[in-house]
Amino acid sequence: MLVRFRSAGSWLRKRANDVAVALMALMFVSFLLQIGFRYLLNQPLGWTDEVTVLCWLWAVLWCAAFVLSDQDEIRFDIVYGLVPPGIQRVFTAASSIAIVVLFVISLPATWNYVTFMKREHTAYLHMRFDILYVVYLLFALAIIVKHLALAWRAVKSAPPEAGSMSDNTV
Amino acid sequence: MPSHFALCIIVLVVLAVLGLPIGLSMIGASIFYLLVAGLDLGTAAEQILNGLFNSYVLLAVPLFILAAELMNSGSLTDRLLKFCLVLVGRFRGGLGHVNVVASIIFAGMSGSAIADAVGIGKVIIGMMTRNGYPVAYAGAITASAAVIGPIIPPSIPMVIYALVSDTSIGYLFLGGVIPGLLLGVAFMITNAIISRRRNYPVEPPVPMREVPRIAFNALPALMLPVVLLFGIYGGVMTPTEGAAAAAAYALLVSALIYRSMTWRQLYNVLLGSARATTSVGMLIAGALVFNYVVTIEQVPQSVQHFINGFHLTPLAYLLLVNAILLALGCLLEGSTVLLVIVPILIPAAKALGIDPVHFGVVVVVNIMIGLLTPPFGLLLFVVANMTKQPLMALVREALPFIGMAVVVLAIITLVPETVLWLPRMMGYKG
Repeated sequence: MLVRFRSAGSWLRKRANDVAVALMALMFVSFLLQIGFRYLLNQPLGWTDEVTVLCWLWAVLWCAAFVLSDQDEIRFDIVYGLVPPGIQRVFTAASSIAIVVLFVISLPATWNYVTFMKREHTAYLHMRFDILYVVYLLFALAIIVKHLALAWRAVKSAPPEAGSMSDNTV
Repeated sequence: MPSHFALCIIVLVVLAVLGLPIGLSMIGASIFYLLVAGLDLGTAAEQILNGLFNSYVLLAVPLFILAAELMNSGSLTDRLLKFCLVLVGRFRGGLGHVNVVASIIFAGMSGSAIADAVGIGKVIIGMMTRNGYPVAYAGAITASAAVIGPIIPPSIPMVIYALVSDTSIGYLFLGGVIPGLLLGVAFMITNAIISRRRNYPVEPPVPMREVPRIAFNALPALMLPVVLLFGIYGGVMTPTEGAAAAAAYALLVSALIYRSMTWRQLYNVLLGSARATTSVGMLIAGALVFNYVVTIEQVPQSVQHFINGFHLTPLAYLLLVNAILLALGCLLEGSTVLLVIVPILIPAAKALGIDPVHFGVVVVVNIMIGLLTPPFGLLLFVVANMTKQPLMALVREALPFIGMAVVVLAIITLVPETVLWLPRMMGYKG
């Protein structure tokens, strides 16, 4: 059962990576089209501006939610690195619970903001903003789940690294 | 009862010290502020989403990261190093000079110091240790030379500075050229003195008949800075589009000319770029909402009033800013300082009549030195990880280079023309 759980997790992680790669590739290609059409064909494209910006927005929040491993995160770990492992677990548990509480409290207002944006559309492609901005809700939920797991493992006295989303499979 | 903002700062510091990622700490502290100030909690999402959606210039960040990753995964760097060996290998401490010159050329294609240290370091540190240099010295000079990367254009930190200060990216990039070259010269002098004292080896001269072939092999890599600069300053492309063009060029050269790129590699390069982008992107996201809090609390104005009370001259203010940033650079990562601390310092600089391009270049050079200063120096960590050397050994060897970099920082602070001459030649009215 556990094995199946793990392999499902690793499969999902790979698909999350695929999405990140697709977003980066789409951003890159749209940019090249934009330059090509503007300067080689003298026909500026409006939609590429929008697609590139959306890819950037999605890539940051998507990767922060599902792709980034603990080592990739920029943190201030001078104090954390100096204290013994037992205290580190207390640190991890405390900061994780704090961030979970803050994100949970702000979740209803975040939901309201994102759904409120359904009236707004992008300038060229007329995409609804609530659909585009839904990635923030995914991000917020992922942060909550990830830090609940980190806090749980810290309390259960497993090493904190075990809670990271690291993937050595790729 | 402390003010809401003071509480917000306390939460931020506590979360960060407990080891939470800094971007997330900023988001958390800002949500806390909104909560105690009785404001709409959805503001955090609003600021992050609209901020990321509306900051078109920031797209240069992922694209420059992609360009650097593409160059590092292809064989561009190797060919570049062979070419530099022809140029400066024959002097005492030749490989040290090769390291610096390669960093200068690499700086013309990439905008990230970390990418420079990884790309050049993974080849040259091995070369240097095989030829009798101590590993710690090879690592230290690699880390130091990588500082030049974001000072000579293109530059990711300058893109971020342009965002927080509303300054032209084009002129900022130009302002970095002379300071970057000065750093290169300063590091080569340092390397020459140390190599003479320790009798480091001289590389055998490359036979003349080999030179055209090596130069020809390196040509596509050497052309990239030229393409980029002409594209941006010839008015063909914006700096952001220049970043995309640089990535496309690096991909074309790696895949078609050097034939050193597989689909699998391309996938990994894109994934690596997405990761590196997100590391910075999360800081930017955190800073977007935190700076919203800073703005409604009118912190920059308060700082400006506070500074005005001392009747500082522009030079005294610049020196003060340098001292503050050098101290912070020992503790914090560069982008954090740039996104959180620098916006608070800018209004006072403007009020004192300090040129925003001059201020920006001084700040970026300063923050890059911060990547070398312990206990928190990102470049030292990267190189320590690559060489498996203890941090302190690297720090000891890096000290003369850090000292020289501070001298260059003093020169560009005291003589604004070193920064502003080139932008003014190209039409900057400042």
